[in-house]
Amino acid sequence: MIPAFSTIAGRAPVSIWPWPITLGLLTVFGLLSALLGQHGIWLALSWIALSMPLIVTVVCLIRAWSRSSSKGGPS
Amino acid sequence: MTPRVFRRWSILHTWTSLICTLFLLIICITGLPLVFRDEIGDWLSDSLPYAMSAENAPTVRLDTLTAVARQRYPGQIITSVFVDDDEPQVLIGMAPSWERYNADPGTGHALKFDAHTGAVLRDMGAPAQSGIGFLQLMLRLHVDLFAGLTGNLFLGVMGLSFVLAMISGLVLYAPFMKRLTFGTIRTGREKGRLAWLDLHNLSGVVLAVWMGVVGLTGVMNELSTPLFALWQRSDVQAMLRPWQGQPAVSPSELMSAEAAFHAAQAAVPDRLVVSAVFPGSRFGTPYHYFMWSKGRAPLTGRLFTPILVDARTGKVSAVVAMPWYLRALEVSRPLHFGDYGGTPLKILWVLFDLVTIVVLVTGLVLWFRKRSRRRLSSGTLSRAVSADPDDTLEPIGLPHTTREATR
Repeated sequence: MIPAFSTIAGRAPVSIWPWPITLGLLTVFGLLSALLGQHGIWLALSWIALSMPLIVTVVCLIRAWSRSSSKGGPS
Repeated sequence: MTPRVFRRWSILHTWTSLICTLFLLIICITGLPLVFRDEIGDWLSDSLPYAMSAENAPTVRLDTLTAVARQRYPGQIITSVFVDDDEPQVLIGMAPSWERYNADPGTGHALKFDAHTGAVLRDMGAPAQSGIGFLQLMLRLHVDLFAGLTGNLFLGVMGLSFVLAMISGLVLYAPFMKRLTFGTIRTGREKGRLAWLDLHNLSGVVLAVWMGVVGLTGVMNELSTPLFALWQRSDVQAMLRPWQGQPAVSPSELMSAEAAFHAAQAAVPDRLVVSAVFPGSRFGTPYHYFMWSKGRAPLTGRLFTPILVDARTGKVSAVVAMPWYLRALEVSRPLHFGDYGGTPLKILWVLFDLVTIVVLVTGLVLWFRKRSRRRLSSGTLSRAVSADPDDTLEPIGLPHTTREATR
């Protein structure tokens, strides 16, 4: 019988899709709210929603960079 | 995912990416200035400024402007009139003759008028003579690589290949991320390859929806020339049947553009008539002013409906219904250009474009590294394993050997 690969690895699998799906939905919302709303609050919401993927990316980069520098070089 | 399925998706991802990466890089780089093309165009333009006029100040009659244009270029023909609703400008397109213009629209040129004063603000030379400007260069590289319709279709296929690469990339994302928290980037000297992979996966997955939307709407835009040609050949030709065989409208019979605008506007009071293509143009008909109108609301303002005005009688012949594929094309435009949500949206578009370049470049780096490693280790490993068992670039959770998989 095949053991679960996660047990081979000795760690529980993490859920993969919540973040990508959330960011994808935010992108869809951002694209449509500016297109259909066109002004006022809808535009602002669009800018905020569409900024999320970029903000998340930047946060991940900063975390990776600070982790590698706090370890004092290669791990 | 079994190793076999994984390998298939992996091959699909590699090849669809490799086919389009170079062209996608050109598209992304030329797309950067194109996001701000209105602003750059204004900045590079040698046009005179508009006169200070109240917004609701009366505008100069179109017939006066067409008369000025004819006076300036005696013997030439007027090809079109465009009345901007965004800026107080009227553009009058001209050309040496219909024969030359229809053979090569590049021989056409335009005069820009101040709508309030009637002053000529700019005399735009024909691109065929005045050479190509910076934005025009970017646009041609972005849209057709100077190869006309062939270039449109070729880049359309590249766009489809990009969308396929993105979908296969999303499928491959799961096995690679099985044991990694979202957004992990494994840095460190020995983990160089992994850092490239993690960066590729992260930037690819966060922008997947945007890249899909801009990719597909880009493909849609590449099809605009054949789609418009199809529509002209089918729907418009069918509508012109009653006029078939009649002599083309001669200049002496031509009623005024001003009257054509009024007639068209009366036919569609809830829409705004913005332009007229003169009879004889390959973009119109031999017997009509081919008028374009658009909705007054922000979204319907992107949906254009043509109106045919008989150029001899000045009567509206038809308000033409647009087919679904041209409506889809019109809706796809703002979603591709990012020009519908103010400057912040344009800035976001530029940043997204830059992240897309990161996805492309990290993908290329991964491919080169994998290739050089394969070359180093070729012949020593079985094809079924595809790489050494310690290969950390293999997806997590997949059995490393065929024996493991079948145990």
